[in-house]
Amino acid sequence: MDFVIGIGNTLRCDDGIGARLIASLSEVPNVAGIAVHQLTPEIALRLCDAGRVLFVDAHSFAQRIALARIAPAEDPDITGHVLSPATLLGLTQLLCGHAPQGWLLSVPGYEFGFGEELSARARAHLPVAIAIAEKWMRSAAVMEGGMD
Amino acid sequence: MKREIKIDPVTRIEGHAKITIQLDDAGNVADARFHVTELRGFEAFCVGRTLWEMPSLTARICGICPISHILASAKAGDAILAVRVPETAVLLRRVMNLGQIVQSHALSFFYLSAPDLLLGWDSDPATRNVIGLGAKDPDLTRRGIRLRAYGQQVIERLGGKRIHPAWAVPGGVNQPLSAENRRWLQEHLPAALDTIRFTLDLFKRSFVNDEMRGALGEFPSLYMGLVAPDGTWEHYAGGLRIIDGAGNILADHVDPTHYQDVVGEASEAWSYLKFPYYRALGYPDGMYRVGPLGRVNVCDRFGTPLADAELEEFRGRGAPSGRIIDYHYARLIEILASLERIERLLKDERILGTRIRAEAGINALEGIGVHEAPRGTLFHHYQVDENGVMRTVNLIVSTGQNNLAMNRTVRDIAAAYIKDGKLSEGILNRVEGGIRAFDPCLSCSVHAVGNMPIALELIGPDGTVVDRAVRD
Repeated sequence: MDFVIGIGNTLRCDDGIGARLIASLSEVPNVAGIAVHQLTPEIALRLCDAGRVLFVDAHSFAQRIALARIAPAEDPDITGHVLSPATLLGLTQLLCGHAPQGWLLSVPGYEFGFGEELSARARAHLPVAIAIAEKWMRSAAVMEGGMD
Repeated sequence: MKREIKIDPVTRIEGHAKITIQLDDAGNVADARFHVTELRGFEAFCVGRTLWEMPSLTARICGICPISHILASAKAGDAILAVRVPETAVLLRRVMNLGQIVQSHALSFFYLSAPDLLLGWDSDPATRNVIGLGAKDPDLTRRGIRLRAYGQQVIERLGGKRIHPAWAVPGGVNQPLSAENRRWLQEHLPAALDTIRFTLDLFKRSFVNDEMRGALGEFPSLYMGLVAPDGTWEHYAGGLRIIDGAGNILADHVDPTHYQDVVGEASEAWSYLKFPYYRALGYPDGMYRVGPLGRVNVCDRFGTPLADAELEEFRGRGAPSGRIIDYHYARLIEILASLERIERLLKDERILGTRIRAEAGINALEGIGVHEAPRGTLFHHYQVDENGVMRTVNLIVSTGQNNLAMNRTVRDIAAAYIKDGKLSEGILNRVEGGIRAFDPCLSCSVHAVGNMPIALELIGPDGTVVDRAVRD
């Protein structure tokens, strides 16, 4: 089983782009989509038997949509119950003896204030991000890189 | 020369706070304060909204304990509708609240505080977290994560989703429990029970000793919590009981809707968190504690066999307990009690009933909803107009009621460990650990991204920073 995990808060404008992407994905056999507010340790145990995982998150510093491989963090830096994608993979490795191959799809975000709507610019990125995610879902080998 | 130490932000708690420690001329602790630095303003901006929106609105106060606010708000709404909530809905609300206690307590213990206990107060802060715990004891970590996940499943299978389910409403709940979901919860409950019994044994074996008792200190205070009419531990209904540090009952079976007769509210310019106090003793002498330690101290029994056996052992060390470390001990016993109660409630065939909501219009202009949130007694007090529009909203959250005690804890730990102005990261962590024991929830509904560095500063009387240590 592969997973696509959309991260973010739909009440904070562009932060909700990960959840919106999950809601818009086509169904692909053997791939599960999950929308989460934050990455928490419970998700590690769901990934024990996963082959691949794609994290989708809005990033305020990103200039363009980018897809990149991520490895389990060897030196995680956390202070609470919220994990980064790499740290979550590291925890999965520790608890399951195995971590799925990880990718991070970064989507530029511009507005993170209160609101349930995406900004116009983030909304324009959404179809592109969905296309990349669906290509990833259907292919075991996805090229890394970005798209404008 | 007077100096000040700041711990800003405090880490591994829910929300944002800082601690300042004032040193005297000799470099010893003169005073210490726990500051809550975020302002939410829910009481103000809920005015003008309708009663029906309140459960969903106030749930957004917190991403960890939204269920607590949903239930308190729905109960205040019940009072304004002046209806009798159907028995199935009451049973479901009880299960939901118990699931909330399990998941919240498990998060607090396994994710936030167990790293201090199992890895050591002076261990490398870079690994003193749930990842470090996973490296040290993967079996315990897996169990702890699954235990929290079980509590989350209780919420999800009743409410449809784990966070902010729009489920409890004035008059009842809006979705019955399916037989399939009841079966799932029953099938997975034994593993959760096994985990908490395993963890309690580990805790008692490793951390119930003089060294740990001294690590976070102890002091007497008042304690408050709900109890059933026969004095049994209660989390959803019942009356307020307040005891003193010697165990004497000062107030008993107080109708929670009369909370203002016993609870006063003070404020300080240096914190956004209120300072509730026991009105009869005034401020600040009326300092009381709520939450796991408060409830375990005030109840006569749990009413379930495993938890009652644990309670007897807990009290064998002296009751009521003023030990800060015992917040963790009490938290674990409450997880056990909650699971036993969930088991009992799920066996009740009425839990599958479909009459779950009483519908009515506005029949009272004031309503108060009270129940026990994981961190302590939670009060929602609303006044509405004839259309059910909020005119006043008063919320007394659990963490606020521990505010005076948290300040005392910080001061005691700082005074015990900081001598001659000498500091270390381990001391800093003990001060934070004292706060973590209360599991304060300073509102965590905002999705924060990035590091939460901890900075410690020594500030001279002229305001200049004379020394600084940063962990990032």
